[in-house]
Amino acid sequence: MTDFGNAAHSSRPARRSRRPLSGAVAALCAFSLIAAACGSDTDSGGSTPAGDTAADGTTGAATGDSGSGGDARELIIARDMDLQTLDPQRAYCDTCQIFLTAVYETLIGIDPNDPNVQVPRLATDWVVNDDNTEFTFNLDPAAVFADGTPVTSADVKWSWERLANIEGPASYLMSGYTAIDTPDDQTVIVTFENPNSAFLPIVSASYLGIVNSKIAEAEGGAIAAPGAVTDDQAEQWFLSNSAGSGPYTLTSYTDGDSLVLTRNENYWGTTPATFPKVTMKQVQDSTAQLQQLQAGDVDIAMQISVDSMSQLEGDPNIVSATVDSYNYVYIALSPGAVGAEGLADDNVRQAIRLALDYDGILDVTVAGAGKKQASPIPNGFIGSADLALPEQNLEEAKALMAASDFPDGFTVNAMYPTVNVYGVDFDTMMQKVQQDLKEIGVELELQPVEFPQWIDQINAEGIPVTAVYFAPDHTDSSQYVQYFGSVDGSSWASRAGGGDAGAPIIDPNENDLLAQALAAAGDAKTALYTELGQSMMDANIIVPLVNSQLVQAYAADITNMHNSACCNLELNLLGLK
Amino acid sequence: MARYVLKRLAIAPLLLIGIVTIAFLISRLIPADPLVSIVGERNMGNPTVVAAAEQQWGLDKSLPAQYATYMGNLAQGDFGTSFRTKSSVWDDLTERLPATAELTLAALLFGVVAGIGLGVVAAVKRDRAPDHVARLFALTGSSIPVFWLGLILLFVFYARLGWLPGPGRLPPRTDPPAHMTGLYTIDSLAAGNFSLFWECSKRLIMPAFVLGWGLTGIVSRLIRASMLDELYADYVRTARAKGLTERSVMIRHVLRNALMPTITIVGLSFGALLTGAVLTETIFSWNGIGSYAVEATRTLDYPAINGVCILGGAIFILTSLATDVLYAVADPKIRLS
Repeated sequence: MTDFGNAAHSSRPARRSRRPLSGAVAALCAFSLIAAACGSDTDSGGSTPAGDTAADGTTGAATGDSGSGGDARELIIARDMDLQTLDPQRAYCDTCQIFLTAVYETLIGIDPNDPNVQVPRLATDWVVNDDNTEFTFNLDPAAVFADGTPVTSADVKWSWERLANIEGPASYLMSGYTAIDTPDDQTVIVTFENPNSAFLPIVSASYLGIVNSKIAEAEGGAIAAPGAVTDDQAEQWFLSNSAGSGPYTLTSYTDGDSLVLTRNENYWGTTPATFPKVTMKQVQDSTAQLQQLQAGDVDIAMQISVDSMSQLEGDPNIVSATVDSYNYVYIALSPGAVGAEGLADDNVRQAIRLALDYDGILDVTVAGAGKKQASPIPNGFIGSADLALPEQNLEEAKALMAASDFPDGFTVNAMYPTVNVYGVDFDTMMQKVQQDLKEIGVELELQPVEFPQWIDQINAEGIPVTAVYFAPDHTDSSQYVQYFGSVDGSSWASRAGGGDAGAPIIDPNENDLLAQALAAAGDAKTALYTELGQSMMDANIIVPLVNSQLVQAYAADITNMHNSACCNLELNLLGLK
Repeated sequence: MARYVLKRLAIAPLLLIGIVTIAFLISRLIPADPLVSIVGERNMGNPTVVAAAEQQWGLDKSLPAQYATYMGNLAQGDFGTSFRTKSSVWDDLTERLPATAELTLAALLFGVVAGIGLGVVAAVKRDRAPDHVARLFALTGSSIPVFWLGLILLFVFYARLGWLPGPGRLPPRTDPPAHMTGLYTIDSLAAGNFSLFWECSKRLIMPAFVLGWGLTGIVSRLIRASMLDELYADYVRTARAKGLTERSVMIRHVLRNALMPTITIVGLSFGALLTGAVLTETIFSWNGIGSYAVEATRTLDYPAINGVCILGGAIFILTSLATDVLYAVADPKIRLS
């Protein structure tokens, strides 16, 4: 491990804002605290600048010189981390995407500015056959893992087979492949039984990062062969070791505290990391993230709420902006769920879609910092551009209710997980939905529950009306049809049909359209996904409410801040002025 | 006394078994499946994965069989493996306990010292302004919500004034001191790193204040009431008649006797603070037992939930025993049997 304590680093000066306070509050609290501290030295002369602790064992030096030559400082990111594992084939979460992208490189990358543009990473080039069933990748012969050994086709085969066989949450990404051939050390050929035009975007997903198979097998006991789901015991090993070729390596992970990465000094690629060390700090509360950014204790705050942004205005040391994201929150209407008789009527579901005040929901939940979204395929993905955005039309909604089998309305259960994601508080949102639907006589019985309880119910017998969220795993639109559409194997086809207690709602037309889309390319593919998007809209099972925007808040000397569709944040792309 | 202590220690395992049993049963009464946090939402519909996970974590067995296995492992010192962190629960607990212990000890120190000080002032200045101020302080500390207080203090003293450091046990870009006790203040002192000791101590001020203020209120009211009882006792009159100074009467006689009930409160409060620092730890990004317990409960991490319950139970049993012993040591009139 590099001893950064002895290195000459530039360090960002503290950015303590010292605005005058309401005197009474300050005085009262100051009195209390000084009393509590029993005379402790409350140094009004200034705060402790980030990294200026001249204590032994401290890292970083406080010169106040932001990046004027020399090496960059340690980058500190405040984030409410959702990590549960660091095993690259078992991981599946937003923070996992950042970690995996930094440590385990993929064959193909995605241009952070355009999710539909693929760029080379471990693979220099790739070829797809005409019917999208065979994908040939040529690896860069210069590519090496952090230990200096070359990245070979055997590592790619091992990593992808382990992903498939371990049957983790991201294993579905490898579904349908029939063989992975490695004719030589630099060539990988993946064959699918059916056309799969989504595979190139899938290869760019962070979950398909490549692991040094020899190390993982020898030191971690990792297994890629069939049966890995029961036999592989390497998860513990991956908590304290990494074996990738990415710009960073894992230094340590402490659950509930921090994830520390160190720059891979053997990195072979063209965009090596600027920051020698990255620490992702667990900071659950968004207000605490904001305060630590203002104080200069962290460089990036990843989950600041839109409401708080005004507090950063005028601070020359901080950049804050909202950017579009592909994350969204939706309500789901399940006609097959137990107790959802009213929702089985197409007119009722259509009326519900029309009764919702989409603009009001955006205002209430994210203070307007979001967009409306037409279908489950989010804005920016192919198949979304030509669909009509939803608008409230109460007159038409009431007319549809009058023409339905439930002209006097009905009461229905609305169980939902009590979460706050993408800046949307579900309690607030569902109260607004409840208020809107009352206008057409649909009474929602709101039932907030914890997420595990929600999952149990939705899988067992469905939930008539619920709310959930979604973020993309890769950049192909097929994932939305496969998860939300009325197609074979879709999670929501099953849930909307009543889960285990019912039968999936399958639309043969959507099945056909999806098969065609997976075999198509270019404009034809776009047209097919547009048709699929319209079909999912017409089914009125998934009703997107908020395509939220992300708040990016970071130190002004950080450059190239971005939001990547595949990877969230690519740490090696970040720079320093 | 030794016999009494041994008897209490002999009963302790039975109490712990009771605590574990209750925790074991209650966590399984929750109508939700812990497998969601193990295999993920998407895989809950995959019977192969669900079966493999059930087998791996022993959830495929009947409830009595699960209980028997758990208790058998526990008897051998195996607390199980956390569903969530995939680490040994014992390792998780021992890694996080020092953080909570350091915070709790600081809160206890503040609560007791400030509580006694305020209580003495309130008793001596009975029904005068200092008494009213002390009462107001006590009432406020007992009634103010911890999360609100924590956020306000951070906003005022960290974000706005910059007088005190923010959340977390260590300054940014700082490595922890060499591990001896896990209490950073102690370890940094042991390493001779006084500047780090000072930094770590400053970081304790706000969370310790938030956690300990409630105790300050209780202790101050108790001291006040006890001192007022003692002030009119015969021995106090005798002491004054002997010509002792008022200060000496108060400190050496009245306060000494008035402290007795406080021992009980402080002893029980230590356990309560240690296991009840959930919100404080969350607000101040303090990676201790409290935040571990919250995550364990949220994800239905059965082994971790049971581990926290055992730890909490053991702490309460030991602190309660220590309180009784201290009481007997402090007051020769009390005989433990």
